[in-house]
Amino acid sequence: MKILWLAGAVAGAGLLISNPYHLQLLTFIGIYTLLTLGLNMLMGYAGQISLGHAAFYGLGAYSTGILTVHFGWSPWMTLPVSVLLTAGVAYAVALPILKLKGYYLGMGTLGFGIIVFILFREWSRFTGGDSGLVGIPPLALGPWDLSSRTSFYFLVWGTVLVGLEVCRRVVNSRVGRALRAIHDSEHAASAMGIDTSRVKVHVFVLSAVFAAIAGYLYAHMVQFISPSSFDFMTSVRMVTMVVIGGMASIWGALLGASVITLLPQWLHVFMDYEMVVYGLILMLIMIFLPQGLVRGVVDLYERSRAR
Amino acid sequence: MLNSIIELESISKSFGGIQALYDISFQVKPGCIHAIIGPNGAGKTTLFNVVTGMYAPDEGEVRFEGRAIQGMAIHDIVRLGIARTFQNVELFGSMSVLENVLVGRHSRMRSGFWGAIGRWRRVTDEESDAVEQARELLRFTGLEELADQKSSDLPFGWQRFLEIARALASEPKLLLLDEPASGLNAVETNQLGELLLKIRDRGVTLLLVEHDMSLTMGVSDRILVLHQGRRLAEGTPREIQSNDTVIGAYLGRE
Repeated sequence: MKILWLAGAVAGAGLLISNPYHLQLLTFIGIYTLLTLGLNMLMGYAGQISLGHAAFYGLGAYSTGILTVHFGWSPWMTLPVSVLLTAGVAYAVALPILKLKGYYLGMGTLGFGIIVFILFREWSRFTGGDSGLVGIPPLALGPWDLSSRTSFYFLVWGTVLVGLEVCRRVVNSRVGRALRAIHDSEHAASAMGIDTSRVKVHVFVLSAVFAAIAGYLYAHMVQFISPSSFDFMTSVRMVTMVVIGGMASIWGALLGASVITLLPQWLHVFMDYEMVVYGLILMLIMIFLPQGLVRGVVDLYERSRAR
Repeated sequence: MLNSIIELESISKSFGGIQALYDISFQVKPGCIHAIIGPNGAGKTTLFNVVTGMYAPDEGEVRFEGRAIQGMAIHDIVRLGIARTFQNVELFGSMSVLENVLVGRHSRMRSGFWGAIGRWRRVTDEESDAVEQARELLRFTGLEELADQKSSDLPFGWQRFLEIARALASEPKLLLLDEPASGLNAVETNQLGELLLKIRDRGVTLLLVEHDMSLTMGVSDRILVLHQGRRLAEGTPREIQSNDTVIGAYLGRE
């Protein structure tokens, strides 16, 4: 139901907003929402942290970038390749790494993210190294050109809506219950007949696929990619979006992505103190709304009604 | 025809230098309530964990319906028909009462990621069957009114009953209960005793580790007594109560 409201809002905004800068900002929010949605399935629901998720975002972007720029593939051909490649890498990484728990899993995924980042930077024959990969073609669907800001906005948000519905369905299914059960007590989950390592690997791959699609869209939107978009700070920002929005909340992903994208824009008025105020706001949210914005606001509302 | 549902043969298990179980053998007959008792440190919980697959025994064999199961993954053992509850109650606290029971049904359902996304007919049918069965189990354990409550909000006694409902959702043939009466008051312990008998009447065999003697003596068909990792005695409650060695072990006489 809520998803229809969102679809309406998305369509309305797309038709009404003509300022190209605002449209681009909204499109970025859409891409970050995709990233956050996927990571939230892994972190928020299954309770497994990843500090290297920018790697999958980058793999999605670089695989389509390299194939279109160096090999002249059509972008629609590269989409399945980039998704399958990222899923394959995620699967291969997940098998050993998800045997780790807690801080160790954090360190393991962090290391993976850094390795992939170095690969993007150093394998300059294909990636262009630090100076980046230039000339990624825009998307076109037959005669319909998707390079305009408005059409790309609709493409990204259409994907977000599909992604939201996919997550909602997964969460409310046998698999989603298994994820939440692992989060609450892995021990009890396996005693219920849940093959915990298998479920964890699957959700890791799912979240990597979300990141790959986001990376694919990002590459064809900005048509230029460089390693710095997929560095450690990007992974951290993704984790921040999940935590700020609210762990284990699909709508939190949307809100977290919006806040983290928009906040720096609004904070320009603080000039030199921008980063200080930004950090302060994040700290205040974590202290007073530790469950994230969505849960926190709902709790506040319920408390005020109970009074 | 098998005359035992689970059979342990010469099980030994040690942790570091401590021998927790010495050469334990015993059988549980289908359709009965079998209790394991013994003072603290007797090896009850270790034995229990060997049966559920948490620990692999150093020596010996565990056979479920004639099939050796030691070394199998825990989730595969559940699928064969062995379910358990925990001494300290391990519910999925963030989930509702109904959802907890649905997780218990996991091993009897099949749909995966694609089914969840596609929601084909088979998946939705499976889901509604599971919900119906879960509600039936909540009625059976007297928790139906609480289906939508968050499980961590329930009083402790009800959490124990919920854990039993969750374990039953996997349609076990053998249900293992690790000190089900601990933390319960006298009234709740009585209700628990009645519930255990009702579960046996459904055709589920029960194996329980228990400290509460009135409960154990009241509901058990057979009792195994462990003492310092060894088998001390086995028999009906009446035999155990009049067994001199058992009385000695409990009162600290040698």
